[in-house]
Amino acid sequence: MEIGDARRILSRLTNDEFVGREADLTRIGDFALARRNARVAMLLGPTRTGKSELLRKTFDRLFDESGDILPSLYTLRPGQLDDQSFARDFLATFLAQVIAFRRKDPRLCVLALEPMAVTARSAIADDYGWIRAIVDSFMQAVGAGNNSAMLRCALSAPSRAAEQTGIAPVVLFDDVHLLGGESGQDSKSALEETNRDCPSSALRHAFFDALRTRTENTVSPRYLLTGLERPLAELAPADLELFAALDSIRIQRVDREHFERFIHTAAAQRGVELSDSVGELMGHQFHCEFFSARAVLDAAASAGIALRTFVDFERVYSQEVTNGRIGNYLRAMIRDAAPNRRSQRAALEALAFLSEAEEASPADSVIERMILDPNDAEGLLERLHTRELLNYGHRFVSASSDTVLGDYVRATYRQEVLGLPQPTSGPPLLVEKLKRAHGLMMDRYQGGFAARLVEVLARFDSQRLPACLFDEVVYEKRYRGMTRAQVGRSLDEETERITLPQIVEVEEAGGGGHGGISWRLFLAGGFEAGIYNESNEVLWIAALINSSEPVDVESLGRIDERIAVALRNKNSKAAQTACWYIGKEGFSAAATERIESAGAFRSTHAQLDAMSDYLLKLAATDAPPASEFELVIPIEDEAELIAARTIELIARSADFEGEAINQIKTAVIEACINAAEHGQSPDRRIHQRFAIAEDRIIITVSNKGRIFANGDTGTVAGSQSAGARGRGLNIIRALMDEVHFQRTDDGTSLVMTKFLRRPEHQ
Amino acid sequence: MKNNEISSKLVEGVAVLYPGPYLNQLRGELIEERCNELLASGVRRIIINLGSTELINSIGISILLGVIDAVNNAKGKLMLSNLSSSNRELFEMLGLLSHAEIEETEETALVRLGPVATAQA
Repeated sequence: MEIGDARRILSRLTNDEFVGREADLTRIGDFALARRNARVAMLLGPTRTGKSELLRKTFDRLFDESGDILPSLYTLRPGQLDDQSFARDFLATFLAQVIAFRRKDPRLCVLALEPMAVTARSAIADDYGWIRAIVDSFMQAVGAGNNSAMLRCALSAPSRAAEQTGIAPVVLFDDVHLLGGESGQDSKSALEETNRDCPSSALRHAFFDALRTRTENTVSPRYLLTGLERPLAELAPADLELFAALDSIRIQRVDREHFERFIHTAAAQRGVELSDSVGELMGHQFHCEFFSARAVLDAAASAGIALRTFVDFERVYSQEVTNGRIGNYLRAMIRDAAPNRRSQRAALEALAFLSEAEEASPADSVIERMILDPNDAEGLLERLHTRELLNYGHRFVSASSDTVLGDYVRATYRQEVLGLPQPTSGPPLLVEKLKRAHGLMMDRYQGGFAARLVEVLARFDSQRLPACLFDEVVYEKRYRGMTRAQVGRSLDEETERITLPQIVEVEEAGGGGHGGISWRLFLAGGFEAGIYNESNEVLWIAALINSSEPVDVESLGRIDERIAVALRNKNSKAAQTACWYIGKEGFSAAATERIESAGAFRSTHAQLDAMSDYLLKLAATDAPPASEFELVIPIEDEAELIAARTIELIARSADFEGEAINQIKTAVIEACINAAEHGQSPDRRIHQRFAIAEDRIIITVSNKGRIFANGDTGTVAGSQSAGARGRGLNIIRALMDEVHFQRTDDGTSLVMTKFLRRPEHQ
Repeated sequence: MKNNEISSKLVEGVAVLYPGPYLNQLRGELIEERCNELLASGVRRIIINLGSTELINSIGISILLGVIDAVNNAKGKLMLSNLSSSNRELFEMLGLLSHAEIEETEETALVRLGPVATAQA
């Protein structure tokens, strides 16, 4: 489904403003067109990422296509959550949209505001009968005061429409989280304070019953639900049938490139002069969140201010956060969770406390600061959590990552709770934001290296890398003055190597800064030797340090403190940890000594580049070989000779010569013996693959079952052959050029490579 | 030669053993058994001719080391002869060469160990 030139019916943004969502619209389109098996899907994502607009755009596109999908969009509203109001409102909306679609006239969607009997008269002749029947059933239920019948009638309307028209409705529900109601209200009833209604359990049951129901014919309605992610995820009842039919479509914030493109387009549309550096800063400061960006641009346009410099931007932004649209919105969000002044102050206390804390805080300490009845405070924390204003789970509370919220909280807390005077000139926050802006831009440049580091860590997959890539002093001694290409070629000659773990996840673990140095921490979890058990679980902590001078020992100490916090928060069960410092300009002598004594690794950006190149080169050499052969031999006496004879023929055909062939044969024999002795293969077979590439032969010997002998020692664990016998792995490593183990899900493979060395005269 | 046989001969009190094309656990144990018999019968000079031994595996090597030790403990002398370059490289890699003496050929090994004779064992 493409954005294209479809008309705007319900959507609020032009196509120029709605950027970076083509892939998400396609995924939703696939769901609507039944290309995904599920009939019910949840659209999940962080707050203010445009989920509602995605639904509106989807409605517009499907309506415009006038195809075999009948779109309907209903947004739940706080004032329409009692059984009768919901049923009436939903049914009226649905029928109006059906009529509009069938008449190909989007203006008829407004019929939802009319009495349903009037609405029915606008239906096409083919539809009038069944629509009238639904309306009559509904009115009967109203007359009888039968809420269940009203809900059933309304919520079954999409199925009736499918049966009668042969067209599959796709019903898009927004703000579904409102079905959950609120828990832990203040001890004074929220109903008295805000006159807000709560959805009944009958409504919830009827809603999910409708999602479960399938029609008898082949055409069934499909449902896409969205709303606040946290309550939405917990809303569905524990129903196996429902979950079997449930899919989820997750969206993220748009990427930086699309966001900056939007910023410039939106600025141009509003006649606001915007410099490239301010556009970049907005992307970084707003984490690609559109609402705040639009608010700032609108404010600049309204005041006729050009956003040429950081000062221009931060001035407008600070005003918006304290007294403008951004501040008003965030104030409304907090008020939504905290309906009276006392709870609003308590919310501010909690949010301000968390915004200053570097790590998650025990809930009790946050509740204490809120000066509310503990039950009320807990309920308030839960409501703030639901609205993603903070993170509350398992007795710890932490701040949201929303920096705009953090700015609002700090400014408001200073003014309204502490009662500090506002600056005579200039908005509060401005000085703080300006100081931060420079750091943010430096982070942006550093972000390139951060992305590189994450990519490198994600590539760790048991390769053997030159050890000098993790030792700044040695690397500098050997490669100082060499070009990147020269380094790349020379690294192949390095004999001292480090075997990397297999990394399966990388996460950012915060950062910090002090006196001109900033750093970001990354935690990379995985396993050694491809063996997935507790004793082989490993955690690498990488500190990416941005400093214009070699990192000194004092800064290193601060970084180590942050690392300790990150490790505590992670609470990893990894048996082994490794620490890796990457500093742009390297490390002072004292810092080097400290790192060495801790057994940690240290690299510069240049080494990181070299490592990235080397890993890419290794991956490139994993290209499919020219020819492949497979052989399976039984585990019985002298069967390994058959493998040796086979590889002899293959190696000879690949231009290997006498001595190399003998070495390969001997290695293959040893590998087979090793697999036979220690693999405990349930099928009593050894599988081999021989692959010929242009300059090498790669031999993989595999068996199912337990792992091969202990890799590095070459000794055989727990067998008679320990010590005097079983030198097999030592022989293999000596005769072949590269040897490593690969763990597969049901066994182990030993991969051996021999390079073809052509005589120099050829 | 069948799989379960190794050939040997006695040349004026010097035993010469021929492990065959593949020195593995099976033939290694046969060599070991034969050597123990020879040592029990008083033979103290043994040559193992590897001229026809194309392949040796690690278990065979380990057994060979044991045989060398047994002969040395019995105050005897064992030589290996006719090693191919691959086998020599293997032995060198595993430090075998410091345990046993190597001779180029069976003939030169016989000369070093005792008078040449023609009787078969």
